Amino acid sequence: MSFSRHTGQSTRRRLVTSAAVFTVAAMALVGCSSAPEDASAGATGAAADVEIVESVRSLSNSYHANWVAGGQLFADSIDKELVVITDEADSQKQLSGIKALAASGKIYALNVDPNTSSDTEAIVRAVTDAGGYVVTQWNKPDDLNPWDVGDHWVAHISFDGTVSGKEVSAKLFDAMGNEGGIIAIQGILDNTSSKQRYQGLEAALAEAPGIELLDQQTANWSRSEALTVTQTLLAKHGDAVKGIWAANDEMALGALEAVKAAGLEGQIPIIGFDAVPQALEAIQSGTSGFVATVSSDAFWQGGAALSLAYKAAIGEIKVSDLSHDERAFYGKQIIVTPDNVGDFLSTPAISDLQADFDDPFGRSQGPIN
Amino acid sequence: MTSSPPSLGASVSVSPGVRIKRMLLGGGPLVVLLLLLIFFTFASDTFANPGNISVLLTQLSILLVLGVGLTFVILLGSIDLSAEGVMASSSLVFVLLATNDRNDFQFGILAALAGVLTGSLFGLVNGILHVRLGIPSFMVTLGMGAVGIGIATVLFGGRAPQLLDQGLRSLGVDKVFGVSKLVFLAALVLVIAVLIQRYTRVGRYGYVIGGDEPIARLSGINIKKYKIYSFVLSGTGSGLAGVMAATQLGVGDPTIGLGFLFPAITAVVLGGTLLIGGRGGVLRTLVGAAIITVLANGLILIGVSIYIQTAVQGLVIVIAVVASGWSLRRRVRVIK
Repeated sequence: MSFSRHTGQSTRRRLVTSAAVFTVAAMALVGCSSAPEDASAGATGAAADVEIVESVRSLSNSYHANWVAGGQLFADSIDKELVVITDEADSQKQLSGIKALAASGKIYALNVDPNTSSDTEAIVRAVTDAGGYVVTQWNKPDDLNPWDVGDHWVAHISFDGTVSGKEVSAKLFDAMGNEGGIIAIQGILDNTSSKQRYQGLEAALAEAPGIELLDQQTANWSRSEALTVTQTLLAKHGDAVKGIWAANDEMALGALEAVKAAGLEGQIPIIGFDAVPQALEAIQSGTSGFVATVSSDAFWQGGAALSLAYKAAIGEIKVSDLSHDERAFYGKQIIVTPDNVGDFLSTPAISDLQADFDDPFGRSQGPIN
Repeated sequence: MTSSPPSLGASVSVSPGVRIKRMLLGGGPLVVLLLLLIFFTFASDTFANPGNISVLLTQLSILLVLGVGLTFVILLGSIDLSAEGVMASSSLVFVLLATNDRNDFQFGILAALAGVLTGSLFGLVNGILHVRLGIPSFMVTLGMGAVGIGIATVLFGGRAPQLLDQGLRSLGVDKVFGVSKLVFLAALVLVIAVLIQRYTRVGRYGYVIGGDEPIARLSGINIKKYKIYSFVLSGTGSGLAGVMAATQLGVGDPTIGLGFLFPAITAVVLGGTLLIGGRGGVLRTLVGAAIITVLANGLILIGVSIYIQTAVQGLVIVIAVVASGWSLRRRVRVIK
């Protein structure tokens, strides 16, 4: 502390100043301390002093933009400012941004999409040290769980790509009349979601004897790369390609452009994941060949998970009372087809998500492990 | 094709026979390209099909435009890392000014021009910051690239605006004589770039400045001016590449240029333009870009496992660089 700096003052002055500093420090401890030494005590803050924060890769993709929009809905519902940290896929930047949150001295509730599984531990430890509360999503190492780290890592939410991958693949096969060859475009190969979705495809293939997997390539989640890869695969397999499976919508849309350029629009069914707006419109149009996608509901991810972190931060939820099933769970995913696409095309209102803000566990599909 | 440009280091009066012999002995990048073409033609049934050749040319076009612009800056011994950010901004400026699903603008071809000029403007700022403030081009262009992504993100506003102008869309989607219209555009850019390189001061002085800047300065060349011009050419190339990508994908998108920068730099260097400047040229970049395109396409066609594709690609590129630089290895050169 700063006591020793006042050496030039009279003893009495110094005493008064010290007392004042001490009082301020004490108030800080009572109110909303974020000092590392009492983090282990599990201090929670008054609602007014808790800062709510979203940390996502970037606002330059629709998925994370919707995520933050969901967070904004929650912020509006409790009448608070939302802080957004973006890192442009730079893990170091993400971590330093989160560490910088401690500087304000407030307790914070953080909802974060870690860039990779290996970033998660550093993030949750930084939050624990700062006395904040964090909910992580998508990426975490399999053998690391919130209860191993402590009460400041409230929960981890992910989505079982194996289940949704199988369901949406079946939609693709249906659109093909359960017959013919498909090509598959994967995301970054060591991403959990890419692996699970592909496993889902394999599971669906095992039950569809008429469908043949002609080729599988990676396009690193990128629309441009998917366009190039699809061009090449169409040249390689020609008419044998009767369907295209992509591990996210960006790549599915890139593939769709390749199909268009080959003059085959509408003749080759395509599926993706993530339910980005343009994919939803393509599904709605009914003429593009885009037949289905999977929604994890980014608005829910941004809003309900932030609500969970916030409830822990203000002490409404006592983290130590939560079961393991509640601290690492799969969220609900919905298969979007022309039948229900209308529900996903507009930004929800607060009222649409209020039930999920009140009960962040409402969409749990069961424990991760 | 790969003969040195006439301005520096090349003996102008060599007979074609000697040239070819030199090239073969030196294992020029063109030889590497030919070997790859021969290999894939035999290894894959579909590689040499008209359909795949059309695909190859289409895939080459954007990378070529990007690489050609970049060549002018690398010839100076500088670097331009802003391509991905510039492509992002130019694609959005273009789509938002053409008929789109976000606003009522419909400037048609002028919108495309605005997209390209956005790139030129980035190049101008890059050049001025680099030359006038004396900041290394590496830092300036890296920073301006981030600015480009930032501007694009603001314009993007959460979802990609779609290009609805059918005429412009047709540029990226439709074919003439069996190949995408983008291919003709890229070819035109290449021809213009060759003319600039050979017959204008920007092109000729670029070699002098890249070869030995102090000498160029002593000769009375306005180095600052011509350096800025080169950065404008590079920015213009990136801007056009962004517009081309947008016509192809039908959207303006901050991530539209992701994954283009390093292939473009590799194309320039692989073609034989030295990173230290002074030697190289845009036709060499054509060869470099063709090698990269053929490799990526061919490895998929012959069915190399996706888990090792990137590694194989990298390995072939390293071998190609070693092979094509073999004849130069004994010359006294500083490698940085």
